[in-house]
Amino acid sequence: MKIELLKGKNWKVFFISLAFIWLQTGLVSAQQIRAVASWPALADITKQIGKELVNVESLATGVEDPHGVPVKPSFVPRLNRADVLILIGLDDEHAWIPALLEVAGNPKILLGRPGYIDCSVGVPVLEAPTLVDRSEGDLHPKGNPHYLLDPVRAKIVAQNIARGLSRNFPQHQQAFEKNLKAYVAELDKWIDRWEKMAAPLRGIKFVEYHPEWIYLADRFGMKRIGSVELKPGIEPTPNHLVDLTQQIKQEKAQLLIYGAQNPRVPQQISNETGIKVLRLYSGGGSGPETDSYIKWIDYTVRTLVQSVS
Amino acid sequence: MGSLVRKSRLVSGCVVLSYVFLLPRTGLTQESTTDTLRRQVTEMQEQLKKALERIDQLEKEKSANTGKIDQLQSATTARLGEVEKSVQAVQSAPTALNPAMGLVLDATAEHRAKVGGTFNFRAAELGIAASVDPFARMYSFINGSREGVEVEEAAALTTSLPWNLTAKGGRFHADFGRLPKYHEHELPFVNMPLSVERMVGGETAADGVEMVYLFPTPFFLRATLGGYNKMGEENERLDDSKSRAWSRFTYLGRLNTYLDITDNHSLELGTSMTYTPSVRLVGDPVGGDRLLNGIDLTYRYQPLSSLVYQGLTWGSELFTNRERIPFDDVAKRRLSIGGYSYAELKLNKSWSTGFLFDYGPSIEKPGKKTIGYSPFLTWNISEFNRLRFQYSYLRDSVRADKEDAGNQFFLQWTTVIGAHTHGFLTR
Repeated sequence: MKIELLKGKNWKVFFISLAFIWLQTGLVSAQQIRAVASWPALADITKQIGKELVNVESLATGVEDPHGVPVKPSFVPRLNRADVLILIGLDDEHAWIPALLEVAGNPKILLGRPGYIDCSVGVPVLEAPTLVDRSEGDLHPKGNPHYLLDPVRAKIVAQNIARGLSRNFPQHQQAFEKNLKAYVAELDKWIDRWEKMAAPLRGIKFVEYHPEWIYLADRFGMKRIGSVELKPGIEPTPNHLVDLTQQIKQEKAQLLIYGAQNPRVPQQISNETGIKVLRLYSGGGSGPETDSYIKWIDYTVRTLVQSVS
Repeated sequence: MGSLVRKSRLVSGCVVLSYVFLLPRTGLTQESTTDTLRRQVTEMQEQLKKALERIDQLEKEKSANTGKIDQLQSATTARLGEVEKSVQAVQSAPTALNPAMGLVLDATAEHRAKVGGTFNFRAAELGIAASVDPFARMYSFINGSREGVEVEEAAALTTSLPWNLTAKGGRFHADFGRLPKYHEHELPFVNMPLSVERMVGGETAADGVEMVYLFPTPFFLRATLGGYNKMGEENERLDDSKSRAWSRFTYLGRLNTYLDITDNHSLELGTSMTYTPSVRLVGDPVGGDRLLNGIDLTYRYQPLSSLVYQGLTWGSELFTNRERIPFDDVAKRRLSIGGYSYAELKLNKSWSTGFLFDYGPSIEKPGKKTIGYSPFLTWNISEFNRLRFQYSYLRDSVRADKEDAGNQFFLQWTTVIGAHTHGFLTR
């Protein structure tokens, strides 16, 4: 009976279905460079550099905790077909990308290969730890990886992406360089605008849940006085929260910024100290107001300014 | 009067003379001024032209310089990157070729109503992994426990095979089911379910080879084919150390797929089959084949914006085993069915709780079984430090081991130092 089932027409239907699935995947953007970025902001910058030559998609949506992106098997086929992989680097994606690359079966985008575009190359890094030991929490040994929040550093990111694309597709180098120049010029205009817009932020004291905002703070003159986490990645203890609330009161901190973390603790601190709580994602792309890099930084700066005005 | 007339004539004469002599000079002066003006205008035009040319030239130089500055900036960034990499390479040079290493300690304090309590040093698992060359990676897990030290896994796998293929060889956990290939300290609860222990033989440890194929489909679809001496750490049916006929090896096939229902909800489905053409158990000189099948289904609720502190996983597996079993002096081909189902709810970043239902049939005694009910509570102090409390009640009719019956309490402490990951398969 079983053998009967696989005879004649059934075999044909099976093979035609298989061929159909095969063809479908082969036809997807056959003319374009297939780029996969870890985060939406990187995907947008890649699109600005590659324009119509590149078909780029982001794995994360932008609302995830930077260190808690789920290892979804649905990411595997995308990585399998990718010509290039664009990452933040500095171990930002260490909890999920290596596990996916392990099964993606795509040697072109493995670490060290030309298709692996690490955007952190040449970026001046802050908070590189002097002591790399887990007693200091879940550290990034190469430094804080949330540099995309600084638009000036984003120009280096754009250069890295242009260089990475040119390395893999030298025939389009001129186009990438031209697009890079235009994008950097546009960024420069926005940076001037943001510098002026962010004047009220200068000197503002803030608390963050996780050390994500130092690059933005550094750019616009904000001053971080502490973190909700006891150490990076370690949830606060009651003693730490008591110390933090005292510090907030003493230093008159105005803002507590959190992202994908639980709002319960920030709200509790706010109730006790009166500090303003602000939910901002450090990944970009979480909504229509932040679906491009420039829109994301603009939204972030505007929201911060409004919250202290 | 006469003198006045003379004077007036003299003045008139002078005026006439002046007019005669001076008028042409005035005309000449006017002509000279116009020329001067013309010349000045011409000169100014030339100067303006030169100035414009100069401005053009300066602008060209400026734009050339801007290009140069851009190039210089770009080159500087590239150079900085290279220097940065060199510095990192130099800094890590003494250890650059050392593999990533980590050690897991897994210990429990246990109390079982039928046998009493113990401090159980379950495992100190040393994990080592690194690239072999551009074509392969290697990893190993060496496990020390109170039973002794053993190489639990030591396998090489390819990284650059064409056609979406990956080959693995050595000793490793065979790709059967979902939880059976987990290391025990990575489970969402304290112990491997009894259904897995009895039907698969515990963790799917196997010496052999596996070939994995990732289908080039828009969705995740993966197939595994494997061949092993035997599968299952506690599987005593076959001797792992002797050469034997190819019919006495175990062969595996598995298909695994995954579906994103929405951004936050997903479903994962797998089906596995192992076939051993010839098994001869003690008491059955005739022997026969063995067919072990499994279906695994995992539902996950992973809200992307709050995944760190919210989420739900529901996982279930069903196994069937068909083989000749000697019982009451008669060897017969028998079918056993077993499985487990569990759900785990994340309460916040640190705490989660869940419940395990386990149905473990006896392979040797048909109709006998052990049913387990186990609520558990986990406290993730950090990513590398975990405490878990579990209560189990086992309703046992197999009566093969007193440890598998009655009320049981476990307090498990699992800690990790260094780099320790079991990769995609145990995500």
